[in-house]
Amino acid sequence: MDKGAVGTRPDDKEAAAYVGPVLRLEHVSKTFPGTRALDDVSLEIQPGEVHALVGSNGSGKSTLIKVLAGYHLPDPGATAAIDGEPLELGRGTDPRLRFVHQDLGLVLQLNAMDNIALRGAFVTGLSRRIKWRDQEQATRTLLDRFSVDLDIRRPLSEASPVDRTVVAIAAALEGWSGGRGVLVLDEPTAVLPPEEAERLFAIVRDLKRSGTSILYVSHRMHEIFDLADRVTVLRNGRVVATRDIASVDARQLANLMAGEDVDPDYRALVPARREDPVVLELREVCGGWLRGADLDVHRGEILGVAGFSGSGAEELTRAVAGASDRQLTGWIRMPQRSARWLDISRAETFDIPLVPADRGRHGVIAEFSVKENLTLSVLGRLGRRGRLSRGAESRATEDWIRRLSVKTTGPDAPITSLSGGNQQKVMIARCLLRDPQVLVLCEPTAGVDVAARVAIYDIIAQLARNGLTVIVSSSDLGDLVAICTRVVVMHHGRPVSELAGDGLSEHVLIHAMEGAQG
Amino acid sequence: MSSTLQERAVRVTRPPLARRLMRRCAFDRFGAVYVWIAIIVVFCIWVPSTFATVTTVKQILNSNSISGIAALAITIPFCAGVFDLSFGYVMSLTGVTAAHFLVSGWSVTAAVAIALVVGLGMGLINAIVVVVMRIDSLIGTLATGSLMAAFITLTTQDIPINNPVLGGPFSDIGQETIAGVSLSVVYCLVIALGMWYFLEHTASGRRLYAAGFNLDAARLAGIRVNRMRFGALVTSGFVAGVAGIVLASTTASGTPDAGNDYLLPGFAAVFLGATQLNGRFNAWGTVIAVLLLGTGTIGLGLADAPAWAASMFVGIVLIAALAVTGLQRQSVGARSRWRDRVARLRGPRRQQGPAAA
Repeated sequence: MDKGAVGTRPDDKEAAAYVGPVLRLEHVSKTFPGTRALDDVSLEIQPGEVHALVGSNGSGKSTLIKVLAGYHLPDPGATAAIDGEPLELGRGTDPRLRFVHQDLGLVLQLNAMDNIALRGAFVTGLSRRIKWRDQEQATRTLLDRFSVDLDIRRPLSEASPVDRTVVAIAAALEGWSGGRGVLVLDEPTAVLPPEEAERLFAIVRDLKRSGTSILYVSHRMHEIFDLADRVTVLRNGRVVATRDIASVDARQLANLMAGEDVDPDYRALVPARREDPVVLELREVCGGWLRGADLDVHRGEILGVAGFSGSGAEELTRAVAGASDRQLTGWIRMPQRSARWLDISRAETFDIPLVPADRGRHGVIAEFSVKENLTLSVLGRLGRRGRLSRGAESRATEDWIRRLSVKTTGPDAPITSLSGGNQQKVMIARCLLRDPQVLVLCEPTAGVDVAARVAIYDIIAQLARNGLTVIVSSSDLGDLVAICTRVVVMHHGRPVSELAGDGLSEHVLIHAMEGAQG
Repeated sequence: MSSTLQERAVRVTRPPLARRLMRRCAFDRFGAVYVWIAIIVVFCIWVPSTFATVTTVKQILNSNSISGIAALAITIPFCAGVFDLSFGYVMSLTGVTAAHFLVSGWSVTAAVAIALVVGLGMGLINAIVVVVMRIDSLIGTLATGSLMAAFITLTTQDIPINNPVLGGPFSDIGQETIAGVSLSVVYCLVIALGMWYFLEHTASGRRLYAAGFNLDAARLAGIRVNRMRFGALVTSGFVAGVAGIVLASTTASGTPDAGNDYLLPGFAAVFLGATQLNGRFNAWGTVIAVLLLGTGTIGLGLADAPAWAASMFVGIVLIAALAVTGLQRQSVGARSRWRDRVARLRGPRRQQGPAAA
């Protein structure tokens, strides 16, 4: 099993001599144009502990993992040590750090054997011919440890999600004695159904017992309390706290994640709209994670759709805007426009704008200026017979820059010169220019700093008071608590419970989400 | 440099005229023009007797107008984020078509009209393959190009169509001159003007760019991205058809492989052009690039440079232009990366204090 020798593994004497954290990070910062993703992060991981890293979307978890994995070069001033030896961050991967990334990094067209061998080495004979029999034996020995029942000769695309995760872990541990080093698991349960996640937890506990230190990234509360010894909370790129898991409860942890930056008692104070007419109805929406979801949305309400990843919460909001990338079945109608039900695959005819979760990939057009980004969805209106009127375009842009107080040097500034929060305001303005009845927001405050976050809450609240209907999904529960007049909790692809907006707290919401799961 | 410094309040006043002019003429917008001027100066000194003449100016314009039309033809699909590798074959095909029907006794108007319809049809086929059948444009247009080549060989047996008829009124389309400048130059300018207006001053032009830069974002913004890409490929086929007809008229023959020579220089011009003006694929950038490359090539010919020099010149200019632009594009990222690197080099010394303490 331990065929690929790891050159830098310290010998036993040395390892015994050094007592202290396996991994120590100090003063790690990372600045991207417009945002500070990590701000003076320090972290220590003790031998044999499961150290949970938690934080909402955009809190800097993934950036920290990418710095560790050598994808990003941190800002100057960062120091790191692994096993007492200095570690140069952002310079390739140290063999004592092993990663299982969120997308697992497997080649699904290949089988388990190939995937594991790709990370380590193929067993080769003379003339570099692969000794398939030995290779198979080695793979079996490695996977036996995880008691996984898997045909290692079939492509991984045919394996179940949890089996794939196990193969990814095995591949990450390939050629490693499990001694002084850290295994990083980045949201390993994000796409696993709960019953399969249990199997993964058993493996994590087993690894821990064998002395492996694990950095476990997740935002699922119960996993953290099940598995972790200590927990570090990130918020807006800063370490808020590191605690022993025994000394905190879920409520305190949620409060730490929400942080004091945004007043936890901030409420947008939009009146509940139960008596107002229903403007949007969805029935029996299936496909992807969704398994027969129904939804009624009233005029002027801010409806939150909550649920752990894999519950279908984000998918449902995307489906409303006709922006789902899956084949969906089901029905949608806007009763005030027409009593006819439309197939959900034609939802885009309602022209409901969406602020996407991944601003960089689906929202911002990096090559465009602020003006060009802002007016993109209403170009037809700005001018006559297809000719663009520069004046009308500039007026519209300057108007919205003022209304949403976008901080920019001017309409012609490149969009990439804006901070995350201001880019998000431009995205919201792009949607509002379409004069929508219903607006869909996914992760409205991802990668948005504190001040802009409250500003965005205020904008959304003001819109709702003026009668705009807003549907929000967010992995940052603070968003939902702050602005929603009503929250629907999703589980297994359908709404299972509903919470009124007033009196809602993050604790109550988490409880409802976990109750749904349990 | 920090993010907070970049975000000042909206400035309503415009910067002073001098600064605006400076910016307008900045090297990163007009770099190719300066390089072009430099090339002209070099050749004026190198071969003053033959290069610095009105004849040479006309020669540069006339001999590059077809390259210009061809390069403009592929600029549009590039704006929409799709390749059109088949345009050389479209050129050959339309030229051969026009020649074939003229030789069969059809009128010039009819023959040209049929050839234009063929160009449009080829664009339509490309659009169906790429947009409707969802085949990657690089491979899809390579395949359709191959089919066109097969069709040309099938109908012509690879024998050029030469007939006195072609030297008649048909040849005037490309060869007729106004003050020594051929009509083909006029066509090129008219097409460039139309494309510039479409890309810069119409809603559809902006949508086309959006679809090319970020397909998902454009789709979410309500843009019918498939319609954009479809239209771009059809237009490309049509404009390539025009180039093919003008080429056949200029050479007064229907040559089965006439368009092949335009493939690589066309792409070179489009990519070089995309480094100019607004940093996107654009009409005038393409025209400037064609002129720059054409001037260099003809100048080298006049200077009796060896035969390989022209291709070498195109290669060097292209790599240099893209390298310079690449550096400018990443300037923000690169500058901070460089700062990182420099700081890292200095780092150990600076960090010695706290580490020792």
